Formats: sequence, C-alpha cells, structure tokens
Amino acid sequence: MTTKELLKRYLLRQKGRIVLSFLSVLVFLLAQLSQPLLVGSSLDAVGRIQDGVFLLDVDSRLLVLYLSLALALAILGVIFDYLFEYSIGVLTQNVVKEIRDDVFRKLMAVPIRTIDERKHGDLLQLEIQDVENISTGLASVFKQLVQGVLSILITIAMMFTVNWILALSVILLSPLSLFASRFVATFSHRHFKSQSALMSDLNALSLEAVGNLETLQSLEYEERSAEEFERRDERLRREGKVAQFAASWTNPTTRFVNNTIYAIVGIAGIVMILYTASVPLLSMTMGKLTSFLSYTNEYTKPFNEISSVFAEFETARFSFHRVRDFLSSPEDVDEGRKDLSGPIEDIAFDHLTFAYEEGQSLIEDFCQVVHRGEKVAIVGPTGAGKTTLINLLMRFYDPVSGAIEFNGVDSREIPKKQLRSNFGMVLQDTWIFSGTIRENVRYARPESSDEEVEEACRAAHADAFIRTLPHGYDTFVSGKGGLSEGERQLLTIARVMLAKPDVVILDEATSNVDTRTEKLITDGFDRILVGKTSIVIAHRLSTIQKADLILVLKDGNVIEKGTHESLLRLHGFYYDLYTSQFR
Amino acid sequence: MKETVFSVVKKNGWTFLVGPAFKMIEAVFDLLIPLVMKAVLDLSFSSDPSSVDTVSHAFGDFLRLFGTWVEGNDPLNYALIGGTLILLMGIVGLATTMVCQYIAALSATRTGTDLRDRLYRKILSLGKKEREGFGEGKLMTVLNSDSFQVQQGVLFFIRLGVRAPFIILGSLVLSLVLNWPIGLVFLAIIPVILLIVFLVMRRASRQYLVIQGRLDQLSVATSDSLEGARVIRAFSTMEEERKKFAARTSTYQDESIRVSRINALINPLTFAIVSLATILVVFLGSFDMASGVEMMGQKVLPSTILTLVSYLSQIFQTLILLTNLVTIFTKTIVSWKRCNSLLALSPAIADSPKGLVRSIGENQDLFALSDVSFAYEEGGNKALQDVSFTLRKGESLGIIGGTGSGKTTLIRLLERLLDPTEGTILYKGVDLRDYSLKALRREIAFVPQKSILFKGTIRSNMQMAKEDVTDEEILRCLSVSCARDFVESYPDRLDHEVEEGGKNFSGGQRQRLAMARTFLRRPEVLILDDSTSALDLLTDKRVRDNLRDFLPGATKVFISQRVSTIKDCDLILVLEGGKVLAMGDHASLLRTSEVYRETYESQMQKEALE
Repeated sequence: MTTKELLKRYLLRQKGRIVLSFLSVLVFLLAQLSQPLLVGSSLDAVGRIQDGVFLLDVDSRLLVLYLSLALALAILGVIFDYLFEYSIGVLTQNVVKEIRDDVFRKLMAVPIRTIDERKHGDLLQLEIQDVENISTGLASVFKQLVQGVLSILITIAMMFTVNWILALSVILLSPLSLFASRFVATFSHRHFKSQSALMSDLNALSLEAVGNLETLQSLEYEERSAEEFERRDERLRREGKVAQFAASWTNPTTRFVNNTIYAIVGIAGIVMILYTASVPLLSMTMGKLTSFLSYTNEYTKPFNEISSVFAEFETARFSFHRVRDFLSSPEDVDEGRKDLSGPIEDIAFDHLTFAYEEGQSLIEDFCQVVHRGEKVAIVGPTGAGKTTLINLLMRFYDPVSGAIEFNGVDSREIPKKQLRSNFGMVLQDTWIFSGTIRENVRYARPESSDEEVEEACRAAHADAFIRTLPHGYDTFVSGKGGLSEGERQLLTIARVMLAKPDVVILDEATSNVDTRTEKLITDGFDRILVGKTSIVIAHRLSTIQKADLILVLKDGNVIEKGTHESLLRLHGFYYDLYTSQFR
Repeated sequence: MKETVFSVVKKNGWTFLVGPAFKMIEAVFDLLIPLVMKAVLDLSFSSDPSSVDTVSHAFGDFLRLFGTWVEGNDPLNYALIGGTLILLMGIVGLATTMVCQYIAALSATRTGTDLRDRLYRKILSLGKKEREGFGEGKLMTVLNSDSFQVQQGVLFFIRLGVRAPFIILGSLVLSLVLNWPIGLVFLAIIPVILLIVFLVMRRASRQYLVIQGRLDQLSVATSDSLEGARVIRAFSTMEEERKKFAARTSTYQDESIRVSRINALINPLTFAIVSLATILVVFLGSFDMASGVEMMGQKVLPSTILTLVSYLSQIFQTLILLTNLVTIFTKTIVSWKRCNSLLALSPAIADSPKGLVRSIGENQDLFALSDVSFAYEEGGNKALQDVSFTLRKGESLGIIGGTGSGKTTLIRLLERLLDPTEGTILYKGVDLRDYSLKALRREIAFVPQKSILFKGTIRSNMQMAKEDVTDEEILRCLSVSCARDFVESYPDRLDHEVEEGGKNFSGGQRQRLAMARTFLRRPEVLILDDSTSALDLLTDKRVRDNLRDFLPGATKVFISQRVSTIKDCDLILVLEGGKVLAMGDHASLLRTSEVYRETYESQMQKEALE
C-alpha cells in the first residue's frame, strides 16, 4: 500500500468532519477578513479627502450599518472559529486512534521473528512517538496550512476589491516574503538536523555512562569520560549556535519584509489619494488605505506560519512512512487446516534443521520421537540454542528443513491456535502484565472461575504469598515492579496449572532466587510435570536423572543423547559436565 | 565555590544587557513606523499645519530640519521622505536585531554546554546512594532535557524577554498619547486577553498532565504486549489484547478531545476581544470626528484611527507571543530548579583530609571489621548487622548467601562505596575513612554481577582500565579470564565491535571480557561479585585457577550463590538476613553450619548441568 492510499483510507473515514472544518474555516476567515473592509468603509462614512484636505461629511446611517455589520460578523467568526478548531481536534484524535489500533493489531499479528529482530524500543516508538508526530503534523497541516492558504486567497480577493493596483503590487512583492522564510527554514532545518544527531549522540554517551557509573568509577574512567563528553558537547554547541541563530532570522526578516511592504503600500496609497482620487477604478480614500494596510499585515502573516509547519510536516511524513512500512510488513500466516484429533500422543522431530540466519545452523538434521507422558531434558551451556527447540515446538519459528509432527501431522498443517492450546510453558523470562494477580493467572483460561484460579494458585504454592499481599488476589501488579522474580515464576506456574495442557515446556532456571522460594518453585515444577509430556531445559539433577531422554546441546548441535546412565557411560561432554562438580 | 545555574549563566552576563539593547533599537523603530505613516498622512492632507495634532506637527518640524525643499509643502515630498525613513528604519532595525539574535544564540549555547558539562561531571562524582536518592531516571532528564530547557530560556529571554513587554507597553503609551480616551480601550483589553489566555492555558496544562499519564499507560501496555509476545501467542489471546488496547486508546482519545475543547477557546476568544476593541476604537473615533467636539482636548483625525488600529494589531500579535514566552519561562524555571538541585548534591563518601596511604606485607591484616552494621535509611532496617572478621593480605574470602542477605552491602562497605552506620573497618591498620580514596580505588578492583561493556571495540573497552595498555597485556588478561579463544576467533580480533551494552556477546562472554578488563589493573584486592554466574562450572574453575597464577599476592573476594565458586577460599562467610551465620573454611563449615551444608548438597544436585 502506498503512503497516499493509506492516508486516504484514514482521511476518507473522517470525510464529514473534514468538510465541516473546511466550511467553518471558510466562514470564519470571510468574517474575520471582512473586518478591515468594514473599518475602512466606516472611516469613509465620516468624511473624505478633497483637493488634498480632509473634509467632514458624516453619513451616520452608513456608519452605524458598517459597525453593526462588523460586530455581527465578529460574533459569527468567533462561533465558526471555535467550531473549526474543535473539529480539527476531534478529527486528528479520531485518526490517531485508528492508526494506534491498527499498529497494535499488527503487533499482535506479525511473526515472533519480527518482534525478536526489531528492538522493542523501536516498536514502542512506532506505537507511541511516531503516532504522536503524525497527530501533530496532521493538526498543523489543517490549522496552519489549510487556514493559511485560504487566508491568503481571501485576503488577495479582498485587496482586489479595495484597489487592484495596490493589490497587484503586494502580490508582486510577496515572493520576497515567501523566499525569505523558505530560505531561512531550509538553512536552519539542515543545522537542526545535525544538531539533533549530535544531541542523540550525546544522550547515548551519557546514558551508557550514567547507567553503568559503578563500573566507570571502579575503572577510574570518570575524567576521561568527562573529557569525551565535553568534546562532543562542544561540537553540539557550535552546531547549535548556528542552528539557533539561523532559525532566529525568520521573525526579523519577515518583520523587515512586512515593514517594507507596509511602507511601499502606505506611500503608494497616499500618492494615489492625492493624484488619482477622481479616476474611477483607481479611486483611493482614507478608509481604503486603512483597510489596505490591515490586509497587508494579514496577507504576510500566514507565510511565516506555513514555513514553520514544514519541519513538523517533515517529521510527520517520516513517521507516517515508518507506520506504513510496519503496517504493510508480512503477517504471520496460518495455513494450518488439519485437525489435531485428540490429545498429543507423540511428537516426532523429523530431520529437523533450523537456522535464524542462513548458513548458521542451530539445529541440524535432528531426529527424535517423544511419546505421550515422556520427559525430555535439554542440557548444555548457555547460548547453545536450548530455547530454539521451544521456538520450533510452539511454531514461533518454522524449521528450515525437516518437520515436527504431532500424531503424524506436520505441525505446519495444524492451526496455530489449536496447536498452541496443547502446550503450557514456563519460561525463564516470566511475563506478568499490568493488572491484578487474578487477571494474570486467569489469562491462561479466561473462562475459568475464581475458585479455579485460586485452586491453581494453591497447587502452584502461590496462594500463600498472594494472601499476604494488601489486596490478595486483587492486588494490582505491574510489568516490572511489585513482585520478586520467584513470585512471578510461581504465578506463571499457576497459569499452567489452570490451563492443564497436554505438553509442558519448562525453563527451570531459578537463578537469583532465595532458597526457600526456590524450593517452592521446584516443587511447583514437579507438580505440573506429573503425567504430562514434558520438555524441560534442565538445571536440576533430579530432572535429569528421571528424564526419559536427555539431549545435550552444544554450539547448536545435539552432540549427545540418551538417558542419564547411557550418557555417563559414554564418558563424553555430559560426563565432564556432570562430574565437574565433584572435582 | 558552590555551583549553581546562576553562576553558569552569570559568566555570559553581558549578553543579557547587550543583546536586548540591540533589540530595543528595532523595537523603538517598530513603534515609530505607524507614527511616521500617520505624520505623512496628516502633513500631506492638510493645507493648514495647525490642524494636525501635536505628534505630527513635531514630525513636520523635524523634517524641516533637513532642508528647505520640504518647505514647498508638496505633499509628495512628505510621502517620499516618510517612505525612505520607514525603509531605513527597517534596515537598521534588521541589522541590530541580527546582532541581538547572534548574541542570544551565542549566550544560550554557551550556557547550555557549560551547564551540561558541569552536570555531567557532578553526576560522575556521585555515589550510588545520592544517585538513588535523586532518582536515576531524573539524573538523565536533568542532564539531557532540563539543561536544554535552560538554554532555551536564555535564548528567548535575550531575544524576546525585553522586546515583547516593551512593544506592548510602548503601543499602550503611544495610543494614550495619541488619544487618551480611546487609549483607555487598549488599557482595558490587555488584561482581559492575558487573563483569558492564562485561564485557558492553566486548564489545558492540567489536562495535558492527564493526557501525558494516559500516553504513558499506552506505552506501558504496548511494552507489556511486546515482552509477552510469546505468551500472548501461546494462549492465542491476540484478539483480547487488541480489545483491551482499543479501550485504552479510546480513553486517550476522549481525554485528548476534552483538551482540544478547551484549547480551541483561545483563538476565538482573543479574536472576539480584538475585533470588539477595533470596532470600539472606530466607533469612538468616528463619533468624536462627526460631533466635531474635541473630546478632552484631544483631536481625532482619520489617521489617528488608522494608527490606533495598527497598534491594536501589534499588541494582539505580541500578546500571543508573550503567552508562548510565559510557557517557555515557566518550564525554564522548573528546569532551572532541577538543575540546581542536582548541582547541590555532594557525594557522601568524600576523600578524607588525612588521605593516608599505606603498604603492608604478606599475612598482615588487610581488612579488620569489628561490629560493623549498616542501614540504608536512618533508623531503618539494618541491611548488615554486627559483622566482624579479619582478612589477611593474600588470603581469599568467599561470601555466600541468598538474595537480601547483605552480600552486596558488605562489599560496598569494603570498597567504601558506603560508610558503616556503626562499627569500624580497618584497612591496612588504619580507619578506612582516613585512607586516601583515590589510592583505595586504585588498590581495590571490582567486577560486578552484571558485567558492563561499553560501545566501541574490545580494545577500547580494555583501554578503559588502562589507557596505554599493550595488545600483549590485553591478550594475557584475556587468557586469564578464558576469553582469549573466542576473541581470537574473530577476524578482527581486538578490534571487534562492541555494541551498546555488549549486546552482541553472550552473558558468559561479557563476564569474561569484563573480568579481563579488571585484571588489567592488577589490583591488590580483587572483588568478584557473582562475576562468573553465567559461566559453566568448568570455565568458572579455570578462571579461578588462572587467577591464582596471574595475581599471586592479591587478596581475592568472591561473592557467589554457588558453593563451588567459593569453596576453596581461605575464609568463607555465610550471610543470612544481614548477619554472619557462620564463618570458616569449607571443611569446617560443612561440619559446623547446617545452612551451609544444605546449600552445598542441594546445589551439588543442580549445578553441574548449567
């Protein structure tokens, strides 16, 4: 989808509001811009210049008419201006909501690979900051651009009704103003861009240093770090000075151009009053000059505003591009049609090969069959690719070649939702979302009752600590704070207890947990494994000794497999690993 | 001398006088231009100089100074001279303004940079306690955002801080001079507009806080869903997540629309007031002229109305500017205070005036702790209670205990990142607090649990420990920490890139690199705080063996949750809940401490496999 089409789609849904705001701004501008004309006419109703001298010639009926018309139009203007500003606000927010919801829907729909590969901060930026940028851009396009252009057009028309020669000369002079503000904008924009690059460079440096200050201090690196900071800060200062200076030309230059136009129009107007008062099409009066000088001010004002919009517009365009790119990125396709009839009886890894990046196989030609109720332990050093198997089982990723078959059906042919509903997993990185404890546990089976949730928590040994919390099961917990790592783990165990899956996937790691909680967790692990097919990233001896199959992973390959006894007899890597503790 | 934002700003104090002074020239011209236009009009359209008002009359006198050719009273002459004058004032005004703008940019960026440099140095000097007290996130905001806000404040103060009020006041005064009864209209509208803008902005800014909060919630929700991507897919709850999020965006939408409902008031209301004022001016002026009465001795000419209307539009435009300015200054004041509060921090752990430095021989007491207690908050729970032990030079110390047992607090005390609340720590026979902090930092090196690598290359990371280190030394230390093999497997070896936070290395690789970096310092005391937690047992043991040969005389302190890491230490402390539960060597602890024995046995069952 092109940017244009996407934008059109969002804007078309706001058709009514766009038309409404367009009409309101039109009414407002007409009302606002007829004011100078009425003021001028009022003056002309008081008197006129004759033979170079101002003569009183009051037409009080006209005077009152003009002034009350001005008052009426002012009131009309106020109402429609408010309508315009308000409907722009609503319009923008409607579009913002739609884009946000679309981006979120997409986040839910993209393959895990997309989320793994893109930085979380980057995706977050897309959903939050980029959409905000679009909102700012959209609002300013409507407010400054649409209003500005309309205002210029109407002013031109008004000026022509007053005096066409002066109108023509103002229009001829206007490129001056446009050129000046455009020039300043481009020039300063360039410097602002490099300023913001230097700024984020400085931010990155300080973030790294301040976040790791202890290390920095222990290496006595403070002085050198400060010097580096000062060096970059000085670069930023030089660039910033130019940028700020350049940007500050806008107002004075525009003021200068305005003053020049004001002087020229004023003088030309006086000359015309003096010499062409009697020429029908060129007739000029005191009142007309007053109107005209006001129009000159009104006319030049939007140029400035429009040029200031360009920067916001650029940012918004960039952000919109990012959003569009993301929205048109491929989604997770689910071509599975076959029904996985009944519980999972066996899982077969059939010549399975997998690589995250081409040429760097993490699993190669792996064959194994796991039967219902069996326990498979995966051991190996950190980074050996133990979690890859989980990724493949859950179909977060698909194999490069070979297949995983459930009950003889290729996992790619089973609908993902159905396939995944057979699994329960407890990962090392626990996931607790912002919500109550109850909501967090119930997540595994939304239709479950409060009793079921509490029972699952009791089974997972989580009940005891939950009851000590201020609001028990209704205590609000957030993504990061509130609970200890161990308690979070217990909650995820409770989730699995509640879901009662056929197959359990477990990452046993319990590092950084105190001994008592660790015992609870281990006990929880043992309970969910009872009678289940299980695939465990093993960290405990008991798991391994009881396992029906141990897979030893190293550098992404299964280098040894068998039972505890058979592997020990092998005197290989497993043997070394196992015996190292006794040396 | 105590540093404050003011002391930084003061360095460029002259700019606050010179800048606005240049700007004032332009402002005066801006105020004069409508008057010149008026005078030209008046002089052109009156055959009788006495019929013009005093201001225009004075201008006519002024022009006549230039020569006799104006005397001819040809109206065209007035127009041409007036026009030229306005143009000249414009040019001079532009030039002087540019000088002011340059001075403003210069002063602001100098101040900003200077302030940032000082803030950064201040942050680097702080200890953990002060940082946590201030808030780690806030430190970054002050450094990267508040300093820019102060810079912005300086910039706009020099550029507009004097100009905007001057233009408003000047327009007011001049309109009162031209015709004071009508000028009163001006006097009346200025406060009204200011009040409206102020009220609306106050409402809106409160509402903005609410919106900001909602946006933060959206951000948290998105972040939650990103982190839980696997779980969400595992439970196939994408649709539910989407609905929950849509409800949040709806709330955000509602709040935002509520703000625009208020914000949308500013423009129409100010427009209403200015229109009303204009109509009033025209009405009063026309009435005066029509009735022919010289109201309170003030003469109204059509040109007077023209001039008043143009002052009115000048006031209006400047008021809008002024309200923006007020927003900027309000933010600046907040940032200014925050910068000051950071600059006012002083590290609690300061170098002692005694600054003692000692060196001791093998087997003499290196550390002697007697009844050391520590509480993070005064009167709060003791993180460490009555700890006493002695460690001799060259010995190794192992500390074991669960989370919250006080291990980390203890080593912070040894490193003097904290000072004990009670009790004393003797280091080389003198009170640790009297020892030169600089020397102490050099003698004691520490590898934290979470190993930190910095963006750059492997070499640049190693050079952080020692600026002029040779490749040979680096490789030697990499061998000690068992990192040499994987480093040499990279084609670019030591020049291999290190991404931010060392993301391109595994946890174990990071730990080994971080250890090598510390080894380069060849410290007298080496503290490893769970620094090998990501290594498998074999590698862990190899590192400890290598270390014995590499730093034979050094005192080593190991903190670990693994018994295997510390079991060979000369002295082992078993900590629980801030107290020393037992101490001794491995063999004696197995006999005397039940906790130690249990931990040992349970771990023997699990560790081997990691």
